[in-house]
Amino acid sequence: MSTRAAFSAILLTALLGSLPLLRAQNAPGTTEEQVKPRSWNSGPPPKKVYAGKKSAPAPRHDLSGIWNAAAEGGVQAKGVLEHPALFPDHPQDDIGEQPDESKIPRPLPYTPSGLAALKGNKPGVGVRAVGPGLVNDPVDFCDPQGFPRMELFEFRVVEITQNKNQVMLLYQFYDNWRVIWTDGRVLPDPKEAEPRWNGYSVGKWADDYTFVVDTVGMNEKTWLDNAGRPHSADLTVQERFHRVDYDTLELTVTINDLKFYAQPWQALNKFVLHRLPDDYDIQEFFCVPSETEDYNKLIGTPASIEAPKK
Amino acid sequence: MKGKPSLWLLALVVSAFALPLAAHHGNAAYNYDKKITVSGTVTEWIWANPHCWLKFDAKGETGEVTHWVVEASAPPTISAQGWSHSSFKPGDQVTVTMIQVKNGQPIGRFEGDITLNGKPFPPHVGGPSGNPKDETKP
Repeated sequence: MSTRAAFSAILLTALLGSLPLLRAQNAPGTTEEQVKPRSWNSGPPPKKVYAGKKSAPAPRHDLSGIWNAAAEGGVQAKGVLEHPALFPDHPQDDIGEQPDESKIPRPLPYTPSGLAALKGNKPGVGVRAVGPGLVNDPVDFCDPQGFPRMELFEFRVVEITQNKNQVMLLYQFYDNWRVIWTDGRVLPDPKEAEPRWNGYSVGKWADDYTFVVDTVGMNEKTWLDNAGRPHSADLTVQERFHRVDYDTLELTVTINDLKFYAQPWQALNKFVLHRLPDDYDIQEFFCVPSETEDYNKLIGTPASIEAPKK
Repeated sequence: MKGKPSLWLLALVVSAFALPLAAHHGNAAYNYDKKITVSGTVTEWIWANPHCWLKFDAKGETGEVTHWVVEASAPPTISAQGWSHSSFKPGDQVTVTMIQVKNGQPIGRFEGDITLNGKPFPPHVGGPSGNPKDETKP
């Protein structure tokens, strides 16, 4: 009996001891009731799930978690235009009635060389959409999206994890990842450094809840978005991740490329990411070149053939 | 169009959510104004990245067979809607609502109701979250 009592006491102690852990795993405001616990290949809940949710305070110097960028429109199929800073009154036009970018309300501040580069990019969607056979979007050939396009197109789910030297972002789309160094190193001179698809990134905490990242050294093979916006090798990007509360992260992305754009401009302005449960399983989403080739042969190319004139 | 701004807006919003398909080869090839419904026998279902597609044969009134190819969204999007790599197998009878390419080729995109062996199959929804409850379509 005394043995049983001792065993019960140990069990009770263990249970009480684990309570803080249980609380941490079920922090208020998480969306566990929306995503089946410990399931595989989860899908991100839609925006309405998050309406009116209460959240715990933001933890200090911490971005870690699995974040839903799809709920607030991170996919941005037609490019970054729908953001109010660029296109205040109406969403994007995908039917090709405004092929001239300059006719878009509040167009981006292209320089002449920026406009020339824009014209060389032939997107499949957006105001400058061309027929499928003419599209030269590198992503259509399974090229890497590169940075910052990975946050301006198909921004679905991103997992952020951090250690004492790095913040790492694991992006679902095309299973891409990048590292932001926080160990105090300085950025390389982009004129000297080997150009990269995702560039070189360093970050620091501007305050307890705001992490600022500067990135340089992107190669010129990538587009900024799905609408074919170009960038030059001079591109630098600043990201501001602001942890509003436990369940909410805001991301602002500022494009600075004075060769192609006369002023810096915001591609994302306090764009909201919602925290997903810690056991959310991100489904893989590769671009598979051989399957893409099959797709092009079977669908893309035949779909591009012009109908015979009657 | 000018008289119905809300409809216009709706159309734009809907087209904006057609993304997973629009991601490749764009929208320009498809006739979004007309949906068609075609029945046939499945010959192949390809679960591929970044797009999946279904091949089926449809018999016309005079017995001629048309080989259809209908594309779906990416696996992460449609698996959240109840589709899987084993959704269709050769010999299955399907009725598919789709939009067709403008040039008249037997190529389409899932757009609406689907029947599989006489039973309703989850419709293809192009919401960015891949969640069928995401209200991205009227």
